[in-house]
Amino acid sequence: MGLLSDLRRVVGPGAVRADAALLDAYAQDAYTLAAVRPLAVVWPGRADEVAAVVRVLAHHGVPLVARGGGTSLSGGATPVAGGVVVHLSRLNRILQVDPVAGVAEVEPGVVNTWVSRAAAAAGLTYRPDPSSQQACTIGGNIGENAGGPHCLRYGVTLNHILMADVVWADGRQSRVGSLSGEVEGLDALSLLVGSEGTLGLITRAWVRLEPMAEASATVLAVFGTVDEASETVSGVIAAGIVPAALEMMDRLAVSAVERGQYRVGYPADLGAVLLVEVDGLAEQVEEDAARVQAIAAQHGVTHIQRAASEAERTLWWANRKTAFGAMGLISRNYYVQDGVIPRSRLPEALRAIEEVGRRHTIRIANVFHAGDGNLHPLLLYDGRDAAHVERVQEAGHEVLDVCLRLGGTVTGEHGIGVEKRADLARQLTAQEMAFHRAVKDAFDPRALLNPGKIFL
Amino acid sequence: MGPVDTSACVHCGLCLPSCPTYLVTGDESESPRGRVVLLNQLWSALDAGGSGDPSAVRAVDSCLDCRACEEVCPAHVPVGHAVEAFRARTVQAGHRRLPLSARQAARYFGTERGLRRFQRLAGWSQRPSGRAALRASARVGGTLGAAALLGAGLPNMEGSRLAHEGVRFGGEGPRVALFYGCVMDSVYQATAAHAADLLRLSGYRVVAAPGQACCGALHTHVGDTGQARAWARRNVSSFEAAGAEWVAATAAGCGAALKEYGHLLEDDAARQFQATVRDAAELVRFGQRPPLPSRSQVVAVHDACHLAHAQGIRQEVRDLVRWAGYTLVEWPDADVCCGSAGLYNLTHPTMAEALQQRKVASLPVAADVVATSNPGCLLQIQAGLRRAGRPTPVAHWVDLVWEALQDEGLV
Ligand SMILES: Cc1cc2nc3c(=O)[nH]c(=O)nc-3n(C[C@H](O)[C@H](O)[C@H](O)COP(=O)(O)OP(=O)(O)OC[C@H]3O[C@@H](n4cnc5c(N)ncnc54)[C@H](O)[C@@H]3O)c2cc1C
Ligand code: SF4
Ligand code: SF4
Repeated sequence: MGLLSDLRRVVGPGAVRADAALLDAYAQDAYTLAAVRPLAVVWPGRADEVAAVVRVLAHHGVPLVARGGGTSLSGGATPVAGGVVVHLSRLNRILQVDPVAGVAEVEPGVVNTWVSRAAAAAGLTYRPDPSSQQACTIGGNIGENAGGPHCLRYGVTLNHILMADVVWADGRQSRVGSLSGEVEGLDALSLLVGSEGTLGLITRAWVRLEPMAEASATVLAVFGTVDEASETVSGVIAAGIVPAALEMMDRLAVSAVERGQYRVGYPADLGAVLLVEVDGLAEQVEEDAARVQAIAAQHGVTHIQRAASEAERTLWWANRKTAFGAMGLISRNYYVQDGVIPRSRLPEALRAIEEVGRRHTIRIANVFHAGDGNLHPLLLYDGRDAAHVERVQEAGHEVLDVCLRLGGTVTGEHGIGVEKRADLARQLTAQEMAFHRAVKDAFDPRALLNPGKIFL
Repeated sequence: MGPVDTSACVHCGLCLPSCPTYLVTGDESESPRGRVVLLNQLWSALDAGGSGDPSAVRAVDSCLDCRACEEVCPAHVPVGHAVEAFRARTVQAGHRRLPLSARQAARYFGTERGLRRFQRLAGWSQRPSGRAALRASARVGGTLGAAALLGAGLPNMEGSRLAHEGVRFGGEGPRVALFYGCVMDSVYQATAAHAADLLRLSGYRVVAAPGQACCGALHTHVGDTGQARAWARRNVSSFEAAGAEWVAATAAGCGAALKEYGHLLEDDAARQFQATVRDAAELVRFGQRPPLPSRSQVVAVHDACHLAHAQGIRQEVRDLVRWAGYTLVEWPDADVCCGSAGLYNLTHPTMAEALQQRKVASLPVAADVVATSNPGCLLQIQAGLRRAGRPTPVAHWVDLVWEALQDEGLV
C-alpha cells in the first residue's frame, strides 16, 4: 500500500494532507534561510497515533520531522531532507495540574504560556519563559532545551522536565525519567531534552511547577553606552545578586520595538537599555532593587525607573519579548544569531560583532540575556537580494567565531538545527563529535528522525 | 484593489495560537503565518493570469477576518486585511461569485424598507413553520438562511419598530449621532434607545443622522468593495449633514468598519469622518457618579473580535458593567472568536459551529448573563448556549447598564 493511504488508515483521512500548495506552509519554521516542502503533513490526535505514524514511516523508510509551534530559529522543524512533518498541534491538552506535587501533565502541543495560565489559580507557575512563549510548545521547548529571560535564576527547560512518554524511531513507546527525579541507569530523559527531535518523539510530559515569588521588582535602566550597561551587569553579578532576569537591548533594537505593539517610550538618544528583575521574599527584593539601582548609578545610568504596577511591568516585558518580531518593522528580514560568551567579555564581544557588521555592511541589532552572556545579535537583511543573503550568513558564522574566540559556545538556546552544523563541528573535538554520532546511531540507526540536523 | 503588504512578516510564528482557525484545525495553512505564505503564492498566480490553487484559496478563505493575529503581531502584519484584499481581487477578476448570502444581504441592508423586511423575516423565523422554510434556504447559503440558523439566538421581537425609532434626542454637550447598524436596528429593538440614554447621561447631546446606510463591513469581508464604498459615501455625508462631532457605534463590527473609511474611500472627508467614530464604550462615562449598588447577577464578557482586536477595546466594557453593580467573572479565552464573523457562519458553517461550541463550553458556570458588543456575537453565542441546553441569556452591555440605571431611577 502507498505511504499516504497507510498514514490515512492510522490517523484518519482528515489528518493527512498532501496538497502541494498547502505544504508550502510547512516548508520553514522561524528560521527563514532554509525552506523545503515536505511530502505530507500528519496530525496525530493521540500518543498511540504518533506511534502508529512512526511505524508506518519506518516501514516505508521515509524520514519525519516533529513540529510544535514552528518557532525554532535554527531550522529545527524545517523538513530539510523532505519526508513527512508530524505536527503535534492536535495533541494539545493539559491533562492534569497537581498543585500539591507541583507537577503538570501535558501533551507536547500545549503552548508554553497555557501551562502557567492553568497553574496560576494554584499560585504556581512554569518557569522557563522563552520570548516566544505565547506560541512555542512544550514539545518544542524540550526539543530545543529552551531558555528564556527568567532562566538566569530558575534554570532552563532541562531543569523543569520530570518525566516524559516517548515514541522511539521504530514506533515503540516508553516512559523516561520519574516524578521523584530518581532514575535507574543512564538518564535518557536528559539526553532527549535538547535533542531536536532526532532521538525520539515526546508524546506527553510531566513538568515542574513552582510557586510564584512572594514579591518582585523590575528596574529599567537606560545608559548612554553599551559599555556602561555591560559594566552594570558585571557589577550586579559581582555584588552577589542573582536577578530573576537581566536583559539588554541596544539602540537599534530599541528603535524597532518602539515601533511595535508595546511602546515603552524610551528616550531616543540611548546607547543601551537594561531590564533587571529581582524576586523572592519581599524584604530581600527591596534590598536587591535598591542595590541594583545604586550599581547602575555608579556606571553612569541616565534614566532609571522601577515598574510602578503590574501593568507597567507587563508592558516592559512585552516590549522586550517582541523584539525579534519587531525587526520586521525596520528590515525586510532578520537573522538572529545565538551565541554565548563569558559575561566579563561582553563589551569586547559587542565591539567585535559591530566590526563584523561593518565589514559586511550589515546592520546588527542586539537583544540578549546579558545575565548569562547569551547574545542574540540580529542581522538585518533583505531576503530578495541573493548577495545580501550570502553575506548575512557569512557574517552570522563570524559572529559565532567571535564567541568561540572569547571562550564561549555556538548556541545558547536556539539549538543547532540545520543552521549551525558546521559551527558545532568547529566547537567540538573529533572525539566529542564521534560520541554524539554514536548516541544518535544507537537511538535511530536508520536516520529517520529529523535527518539533516545537528550533524553535517 | 492591490495586495495588502505583508512583507513585514518575519515568520516568527507568534501569531499562531491567537488564530481561531488554527486553534480548531492545528493546521498551519489555516494560520496567519501560513496564510501569508499562501497569499504570496496566490498573488503571484493571479498576476500570471491564473486563479490560484483551489486548496490554497480555501485555506485563505477560511480566515474569519477576526484580526486577532494583527493585534499580537510584533511587526503589525495585516493578515486579515490582506485576505479581504485577496477576496476583492478575485471577485473583480471574475474568479469567484459573491456568496448568495452577500448578494441577498445587499437587498435587505442599506435601506429602511429592506431592514423592515429583514426584521419580518427574523420574526417569522422564530415560528416553527418559518424556521423550517428558512432552514431549507440556509442550505443554499442565502441570507434568509442567516435568520434561520441564528433564529435560535434571536431575542423576543415585538412589533415592527426599528430600534432607532425609539431613540430620544437631546441633552447637553458635544453633538453625538448614533450609527444604528442593520442588525442592531432591526433585531435589538431597545439597544439604540438605551445607548442614546447612556450618552445623554455621559454629557452628550444626541442628534439624529438620517439617511445613514449599512456600514458595508459584511460586503468588504466577502470582497464586494464596490457596494461597501457606495454605502460608505452615503454615511460620510449623512453624519456630516447632521453636524455630528462624534459618531457612536453599538455594533463592534460596524464601528471597526467605520474607523477604516479613510482607507476604503481614500479621501479627506472620509478620513475626517473616521476620526470622529467611537464605540459607545469609549464615549459612555459616568465620571464622578458613584458606582451603582451591587446587583446579584454575575456577568461574563465576550470580547467581540472587532472591538478587542480591531479597536483595542476590552477594559472599558468591563469597567462600565462593574460600575453598574454587576459582578464580573473572567471568561477564559474571552477574546477568541465565537464563529459569527459577519456572513462566515453561512459560508463556513462547520468551522463556525466548532468555534461556537468552544465558546460556550468555556463559559464559567458562575455566569448568569453574557455581555458583548456585537449583534453577530449576540446571536451566535445565544444560539450556541441554547443548543448546549444552557439557559444563560446574552445581552448587549448597553442594555445591562441601562437596566441597572433604570432600577435606580436614573433613566
Ligand atoms: C520571536 C522568537 C523568540 C524566541 N525566543 C527564545 C528564547 O528566549 N529562548 C529560547 O530558548 N528560544 C527562543 N526562541 C526559539 C524557539 O521559540 C524555541 O526553540 C522553542 O523551544 C521552539 O518551540 P516550538 O514549539 O516552536 O518547536 P518547533 O520549532 O516546532 O520545533 C523545535 C524542535 O523541537 C522538535 N520537536 C518539536 N516537538 C517535539 C516533540 N513532541 N518531540 C520531540 N521533538 C520535538 C522539532 O523537531 C524541532 O527540532 C524564539 C523564537 C522566536 C521566533
Ligand atoms: S504575521 Fe506577524 S506574528 Fe505572524 S509570523 Fe508573521 S511576523 Fe510573526
Ligand atoms: S484574521 Fe483571524 S482567522 Fe484570519 S488569520 Fe488572523 S487570526 Fe486567523
